[in-house]
Amino acid sequence: MNGQTFNATAAIIRDTFREAFARKIFWGFFGCCTALLLFLMFIMRVDVVAGALATVSIFGNSLPSTNVQNLVQQTQSVIAGVLYYAGMALAVFASAGLVSAVFEPGRIELLLSKPVSRTHLLLGRFAGNVLVVSANILYLVIGSWIIFGVKTGVWGAGFLLSSLCTIFIFSVLLAVIVLIGVLLDSSAVAIMVTFALMIITPILAQKATLERLLSSEWSRDVLRVLYYVLPKIWEVRGIVQNLILNKPVESWMPVWSTAIFGAVVLAIGIWRFQRRSY
Amino acid sequence: MDEYAIETEGLTKVFRSRWSKRELKAVDDISIRVPRGTTFGLLGPNGAGKTTFVKMLLSCTHPTSGRAKVFGRDSQEPEARRPIGYLPENHRFPTYMTGWGMLEFYGALSGMDSASRRRRIPELLNLVGLDERAHHLRLGKYSKGMLQRVGLAQALIHSPRLLVLDEPSDGVDPVGRKHIRDVLNGLEREGVTIFLNSHLLAEVELFCREVVIIQKGKMALSGTVASLTSGSGYKVEALGVPESLETELRSRARSFRSVEGTLELLFASREEANWAVDRLRASHCELESLARTRSTLEDVFMKTVDGPISGVTAQ
Repeated sequence: MNGQTFNATAAIIRDTFREAFARKIFWGFFGCCTALLLFLMFIMRVDVVAGALATVSIFGNSLPSTNVQNLVQQTQSVIAGVLYYAGMALAVFASAGLVSAVFEPGRIELLLSKPVSRTHLLLGRFAGNVLVVSANILYLVIGSWIIFGVKTGVWGAGFLLSSLCTIFIFSVLLAVIVLIGVLLDSSAVAIMVTFALMIITPILAQKATLERLLSSEWSRDVLRVLYYVLPKIWEVRGIVQNLILNKPVESWMPVWSTAIFGAVVLAIGIWRFQRRSY
Repeated sequence: MDEYAIETEGLTKVFRSRWSKRELKAVDDISIRVPRGTTFGLLGPNGAGKTTFVKMLLSCTHPTSGRAKVFGRDSQEPEARRPIGYLPENHRFPTYMTGWGMLEFYGALSGMDSASRRRRIPELLNLVGLDERAHHLRLGKYSKGMLQRVGLAQALIHSPRLLVLDEPSDGVDPVGRKHIRDVLNGLEREGVTIFLNSHLLAEVELFCREVVIIQKGKMALSGTVASLTSGSGYKVEALGVPESLETELRSRARSFRSVEGTLELLFASREEANWAVDRLRASHCELESLARTRSTLEDVFMKTVDGPISGVTAQ
């Protein structure tokens, strides 16, 4: 990438941030994350004496005494799970508009008239969007990690890894949003499809059970194809929780197959964008 | 160095409906050459294919067949667009940007470094007549005329060698229009090629040296403005013309009218005009004026778009 292309790509990323600020997307997201951090900070009172819990109370109710590290990891695992799905839903809502805005008539022509390749235009917008969401996810995860660490003295790195997984899955879903934006110029359809993926993948994750329930071989084949092709959002969540709880990860297949799905979808989006007339 | 700023060969765009497979030929086999440093007007009625043609030059729309070159480079290459400044017709500049911020953004996309942008932006905003207050005002608060001015500044940010303007004075008041024309005249003197797509025929006639008229996607007429509007006839104005002579003169005139005692006659040739002057002087009529008339570009345009598509070239 030469200097001019780098400048142009950096300008597109900065513009995505500026638009996210102007549309209050960034601040809305930031506000939700701050509210969640304040919630964590004030509802949870933990007194640690010599590495064990003297008292633990949430909403003023005492909890049974337990090992500090265990409790923190369990809580972090729950928060990571909530963040993973709820944060992702928020991020999808926020990003769909940011992507489709670029394809608006009167705006896209001016962008395409500049000496920047369509690939760089689309990837710049994609990267800007990922960074907007990443900034908030990192703020939330690192913020809650610090709160837990200060209150309990437990500083496990597993919880921090959950932010990377969340950003990774968001990037895959954003690739879907980009593809639909290029094909249909519709943020509403993009939201519907990504939500459908978020709903269908926990069902597909029960592949073994479903295979037993299905009577015909062709329907089992359809199930297998869907399972292997579509992103494994639910299973990646399981991997995140294992990492937090320091449990071994049985298979990384859900991660790499999801990454392939995201890369292929994004590549199709770029290819279609290059061929499209505006 | 390439001789032409724009060169198209058989440029054609066919839009196909995704479902019904219906076809619409928006641009049909257009070949033009725009010499560098000239002011060139693209004319045509609504839906003639002008915007599609411009979009193909800028590679926003891919041609079905044919090719377009900008300063000798295929317009599909991103580098071919580096010397182009473009102001679209129905632009939607991001309303969250300020005038300054917008020029920063499009300047960076055009390959300018930040020092050059900082130097050029205030210069340009002043050139297009936007005062200090407007520099840091969000575009959402700009009037239509202000948006056109900042749009022009955006097109000029990287000192382009080719300026493609789609209705540049749309929504601008007459004073602003004159201001924009002055800016464009200055650029023309600097050797910038200006490609103007406008409905304002008087503006095109005043500003452009060459024009192309397209109709239903096809090139209907092309040539220099001077040749297209030259020598349509001779106008004779006279006072106190007796009725018998008036009848005789009318019979040879292409058109005539009588306004408050002055008879205006339009003759097709110099010989006929001379004959009329001789007859008027012999009858002791007073001559008010004698002048060679020119067609306006509007006359040429109306004749072209009303008539059959011929592909005439006037040089």
